[in-house]
Amino acid sequence: MSMALRPRRVRRGEYLVAAICVGMITIMIWPIVMSFLASIKPPDEASRPPPHYLPQSLSLENYRSILTYHAGLAVYVGNSLAVAGLTIVFCLVLSVPAGYGLARFDIPGKEVIFLILLASMMLPFQALLVPLYLLFSHIGLTASKLGLAILHTMLQLPFSIYLMRNSFEGIPKEMEEAAVVDGATSLFTLRRIFLPLVMPGMVTVALFAFITSWNEFLGALILMNDEKQFTVPIMMTGVSSGNFGSVNWGGLQASVIVSILPCLIIYLLLQRYYMTGLLSGAVK
Amino acid sequence: MKSLSVPGFRRLLVTASLVAMVASPVSAETLTMWVRESAADPGKLMVDLWNGKHDNKIELTAIPDTQLVTKLATSVAGGNAPDLVSFDLIYMPDFMKAGFLTDVTDQLAADPHYATHVQAYKDISTYEGKTYGVGFTPDVSVLVWNKDLFKAAGLDPEKGPTTIQEIVDDARKVHALGKDTYGFWFSGACPGCNIFVTSPMMVAAGSKILPKNGTDEALTGDGVKTVLEAYKTMWDEGLIPASAETDTGANFVSAFVGGNIGIAGTGGFLISLMKREHPDFNYGMTLLPGISAGQVSGFVGGDVVAIPAKGKNEAAAREFLTWVLSDEAQLDGLAKNSILTTRTDLADNEYTKGNQPVLMTAKALAAGYVPWVFHFADMVNSDSSPWIQMLQQAIFDGDIDGAITEARAAMLEIAAR
Repeated sequence: MSMALRPRRVRRGEYLVAAICVGMITIMIWPIVMSFLASIKPPDEASRPPPHYLPQSLSLENYRSILTYHAGLAVYVGNSLAVAGLTIVFCLVLSVPAGYGLARFDIPGKEVIFLILLASMMLPFQALLVPLYLLFSHIGLTASKLGLAILHTMLQLPFSIYLMRNSFEGIPKEMEEAAVVDGATSLFTLRRIFLPLVMPGMVTVALFAFITSWNEFLGALILMNDEKQFTVPIMMTGVSSGNFGSVNWGGLQASVIVSILPCLIIYLLLQRYYMTGLLSGAVK
Repeated sequence: MKSLSVPGFRRLLVTASLVAMVASPVSAETLTMWVRESAADPGKLMVDLWNGKHDNKIELTAIPDTQLVTKLATSVAGGNAPDLVSFDLIYMPDFMKAGFLTDVTDQLAADPHYATHVQAYKDISTYEGKTYGVGFTPDVSVLVWNKDLFKAAGLDPEKGPTTIQEIVDDARKVHALGKDTYGFWFSGACPGCNIFVTSPMMVAAGSKILPKNGTDEALTGDGVKTVLEAYKTMWDEGLIPASAETDTGANFVSAFVGGNIGIAGTGGFLISLMKREHPDFNYGMTLLPGISAGQVSGFVGGDVVAIPAKGKNEAAAREFLTWVLSDEAQLDGLAKNSILTTRTDLADNEYTKGNQPVLMTAKALAAGYVPWVFHFADMVNSDSSPWIQMLQQAIFDGDIDGAITEARAAMLEIAAR
């Protein structure tokens, strides 16, 4: 076996790497473990100062309370998933052609266009909230999932285009030229040659769009007017806040755990693409 | 295109009006109502009671407390305001001045029940002679003590502190029980909590806290200094848990409920919370005291209900306002659920008889105050407000006189805007 033949020195190095990895994982996972432990405490124990690391007694009361909170957890999760799904679709439909155009065509002033697109990331969207709200209410997009998805797309689009442009630029020019020589139109080239190659980039765009939309609070709160339209972050704020800023710690931690789950599942499913996606974005 | 013949048109008209006649008695409206999250429980009790007995139904939506002002302001500007809104009464002056609310002066003047409405709610809802809302789910601050800890410390468990000095003395004895047992609790980084439970002690001792305008008086009298000195003493002696210094209100309620705190200021809302979640907790409730026995006060809080301007169902919303003051709403909606009534003539009723804590809060409501000021958010509620800076500088840093002088100047500057 080749493992057995390795010199001792290398194995010691491996231990060191492993130790560093375990250390970093511990730091990363610590808050989640703490959240989980707090979420299975009875509500009054979760709030009692000073807090203890380990639960002294176990209870699922916190989870029960968020399941039945106002409109019910299923409604909020459903809304969040619907809005996040729409956001992903919009982001992909817009950023793929935009990235293709910016990467592969000689558009006059395309660097300036790209810079303006990126510059919109610098503006805090809270500053735009009131004018946006007035505009949305004028065209009837308030209190609708479509409107909220458009808002989330707006937040996520510059970064998505940036990612897609880099993905398209990472593909060798020769492949495109070969397609052109064979008589392919630019749309055909996009569909048959590029799309399979930029798939990792698209998955990354979808992942980031999902996470942005899933976690976004202020826009959802301002645009939606009805209990049955609220998304998970609004539910979480509602569950956790009480009189005079008092916090329902148990309920908060339980909803943290519940809201992490979809992100975790999607991330694990798409992890492989995600890694390649980042690479294809970063290295040309 | 074929045009309708005259008889055909007439038939259509008759059918349409028949449909309208049949439909109108049952075509009840659905009103939308927003309530801030922390008042959602009592709000829901009231709305459920209304929905059970009226054709016009109300759909209640709870909005996180800290966001209600932003959300209401944007929705009024966008013309999408709800039909009714229940919010922290302290924002009433700012909302009335901004023209967000519908004038209901004439309706209330004609309502016989309005005469006995708690004065603090009438005051806070009136601007330039016009009235814009009524008290909905009331609350008031009180002092609570843990009877079990008092007994263990050799104190009379049935007698709460009646002066600020007694709070300090009793807290000392409770803390002597052990190092995990503390005498007193307050949320040291929560401006709202302290205007609610700390400022009434100053007011009870004769102080005036907030200025109405730039030339008004602020933080006057001995009360402010006495209370700050008492808090500082308790902090220095370790009678207050160290976590109080940074508590932004997260443990405002739960600290006392945890069972290792002797005395704390809190609100009437604690009664229904205790009844629901900790029925065996042995605690006493009394009015927030001043320097000498007999001086008492409380901060009248809770929610007012109002009709946002440009509402689509104003007539139906007005009916709800009238109903809120009716015997049915006051007794079956509020009193039956251990919540105070907002009408003084109903404060003593079949549900509150013998319920010592509720009767105590009714007293506090009568003795309490509510500051009618603009910019309350800047003067008090914001994280860097002069109010919270004064408390922190005086209690944790120890510079009481400097803290009061600086806060006074900052408050007057804000009030002059």
